[in-house]
Amino acid sequence: MAATRRLQKELGDLKSPNSVLKKSFRDICVDESNILLWHGLIVPENPPYNKGAFKIEITFPAEYPFKPPKVIFKTKIYHPNIDEKGQVCLPIINAENWKPATKTDQVVSSLIALINDPEPEHPLRADLAEEYTKDRKKFMKNAEEHTKKFSEKRPAD
Amino acid sequence: MSGGDINRQLSHMSEASSIGSDGNSSEDMDEDIDHSYYVDTSNDLNLDCPSNTDDPEYFEYEPLQLIDAERMLNEEIETLCMKLKVNPSMAKMLLLRHKWNKEEIIDNFQRNPTEYLIESHLASRRRHVNLMSSYISNIKITFFSPLKDNLIGQRPICSVCCVEYSRDRFFGVACGHKFCRDCWDMHFQIQIQDGITTGIECMAKECLVLVTEDFVCEILSQPKLRDKYSKFSFNDLIKSHPNLRFCPGIDCSVIIKAKEAKAKKVECQSCKATFCFKCGIAYHAPTECDVIKRWLTKCEDDSETANYISAHTKDCPKCHVCIEKNGGCNHMQCPECKYDFCWMCLGDWKSHGSEYYECSRYKENPNIANESVHVQAREALKKYLFYYERWENHAKSLLLEETTTAKITARTQEKVMNNQGTWIDWQYLLIAASLLKKCRYTLQYTYPYAYYMEKGPRKILFEYQQAQLEAEVENLSWKVERAEISDKGVLENQMDVAEKRRQTLLKEFLDVQVL
Repeated sequence: MAATRRLQKELGDLKSPNSVLKKSFRDICVDESNILLWHGLIVPENPPYNKGAFKIEITFPAEYPFKPPKVIFKTKIYHPNIDEKGQVCLPIINAENWKPATKTDQVVSSLIALINDPEPEHPLRADLAEEYTKDRKKFMKNAEEHTKKFSEKRPAD
Repeated sequence: MSGGDINRQLSHMSEASSIGSDGNSSEDMDEDIDHSYYVDTSNDLNLDCPSNTDDPEYFEYEPLQLIDAERMLNEEIETLCMKLKVNPSMAKMLLLRHKWNKEEIIDNFQRNPTEYLIESHLASRRRHVNLMSSYISNIKITFFSPLKDNLIGQRPICSVCCVEYSRDRFFGVACGHKFCRDCWDMHFQIQIQDGITTGIECMAKECLVLVTEDFVCEILSQPKLRDKYSKFSFNDLIKSHPNLRFCPGIDCSVIIKAKEAKAKKVECQSCKATFCFKCGIAYHAPTECDVIKRWLTKCEDDSETANYISAHTKDCPKCHVCIEKNGGCNHMQCPECKYDFCWMCLGDWKSHGSEYYECSRYKENPNIANESVHVQAREALKKYLFYYERWENHAKSLLLEETTTAKITARTQEKVMNNQGTWIDWQYLLIAASLLKKCRYTLQYTYPYAYYMEKGPRKILFEYQQAQLEAEVENLSWKVERAEISDKGVLENQMDVAEKRRQTLLKEFLDVQVL
C-alpha cells in the first residue's frame, strides 16, 4: 500500500525530538495492525483551552495521500468550530482543497491554530460563535469551566 | 365567417398562434392547391418559436450534435494556438478559464504573457524565468526538467510517496514542483474518478497551478481513464462556453448553440425540452435568472408555511358550498347559487373587469417602516404569501389546462358526431387552449418578478400590465372552456387581445433586465 511508507515516514518525523509540534501534539499512538488510524493529544497554549488537553483521532483513507485524512475530537470541547460530535471543519483537509503533498504535521498545526484562535465567521456551533463575538467574557468563563470539567490532564513537562 | 375573415384574423395576431408545424407544412403542398388560402405564411402563427426580431422572446439558436460542437470548439482552440503560439492544451485552458473571450485573452496575453499565465493559474511566480521557453510549442520540455543541480549524484525522494527514484522518474508542470510518475498517475486517477479534469491542480501544498491535458494524457497509464478525461473535460469546455448549453432533457445529448448568451426560451427539437438558455432551468420570463433562483429557493425553504394555502377546495363566498377547482380558469361560478367570483380573492367577478383588475396587485401597508419588528415580520410573510399563492395557483391552473386539452378533444369528437361542424371547424379551440397555456405560463412568472421589484413607477406600470394580462387570460380561459362553434370569432379576438397583452408586458420588461 502506497500509504504505508508515507505514513511511517510522517510518524517518524512527528515523533522525532526535532518536531516543531513536540510540545503541542503528543502521545501519538498508532495501532501496529492499522497504520491508518492515529490517536494523539492536543495541548493548546492559549486560554481558555490551556487549562487542559484534548484527545483527537486521525483516520487516513486507503488512498492516502491522494485523499485527505479525517480528524475527530475524542474529548469534549467548548469551541465555535467543533461540534458536539467532535467534528471539525478544517479547510486544509477539505476534499476540494486537499493536496497530496500536504503533511500530517501541517494538518495538525492548522488544527492547533484553529483551537487557539477560533474562527467565528464560519462556525459549526452558531450559538458558541455568537457568544464568542458578542460576549467574550462569558464565553471565556464558560469555555474555561467546560475545559476544567471535561478535558484531559495536561502532561507534566 | 368567411375564409377571408379568418385569414385577416390570423395574420394580425402576430406570429404567435397556430400549432407547431402548421407554418412549415404549406411548403410541401402540391402546386394545384389554392395558394390564396395560405397567403403570407411567413407571418403565420407559430406558438413556440417566435421568428420576428420585434418579438421580445425572439431568440436565434441551433441544435448541435456532439461532433459538431467538438469541431466548433477545436476551431476556436486552433485559432488561439496560432495567434498566441501556445500549444492546444494551453489554449484550451485559457479559453476555459476566461469564458472563451478570445479578444480579451489575446489582448491580455500580448500585454504581459507571464503575468497573464500566472493570473490564469497556468504558471507560477516560482519559476516564471523558464516559463516561456518551456511552454511555447515544444511541450515535451515541460514534462521533464532536471531537479536542482545540487542533487546530482543523489537519488531524489518523491515527497508524496516518500520513495527514492532516479531523476528521470520525476515530472512537473509550470510551477516546477516535481513528483514521481506513479504519484502523478495516482493523483490523476483519483481526481478523474471524482469527475475533476480541467480543474486538476499540482500536488504541492497551496500550489494552484493547473495541470494541462497534454501532461495528464502523457502520464495516465490506464487508457480507460484517458477516455473519461476527454469526456469530462469536453463537458467542462461546453459548460464554460457562454454560447453553448447541454440540453437539460433526460438522456438528450444535444448541445444548443445560441447567437447570444441571453435568458431566452429554447426548445430542443430532439427531446422537446424547453428551458432558459442562460441558466438551464424552466423558462422564466419576465423574471431574471438569479431572481427566479432566489424565488425558488425561498419557496422551498418556506414550503411548510405555504402549504396551508395549497388546498384544492374553497367555499363559495355566497352560499358556502364547498367548491373544487377542476379547470385552469380563476373565474369561478358556483354550481349551486351561480354566483360569479374570483378564485384568488373570493371577490365578485364583476369587479374584475379589465380596467379594475386589482387582484394581482399587493397592497402594502403604507406605514410599515414605523411599525414594530413583529408587525413588519407579519407583513413580510403576508406579502410573500400573496405572491406565492398567485404563483402556485397559476402553476396548478397550468396542470389543469392539460385536462382542458383532453376535454376539448372529447368535446370536438362529440360535436362532430352530432353533425355540429367538422373536425377542422373545431381545431381553433385547440389553438386557443395552447395559446392560453402560453399566456398563463408567462403570467405565473410575473409574480416572482413583482415580488422582488422595488416600489416606484416601474412597479406600478408592471402591475398594471400584469393585471391587464391576468384579466384577459381569465377571460380567455372562461371562453375556451365554454366555446361553441359560433363563438369562433369572439374567441379569436380574445386570443389576440391576450397575446398582445403578453407581448406588451414582455416587450416592456423582458429585454430591459438583460441589459
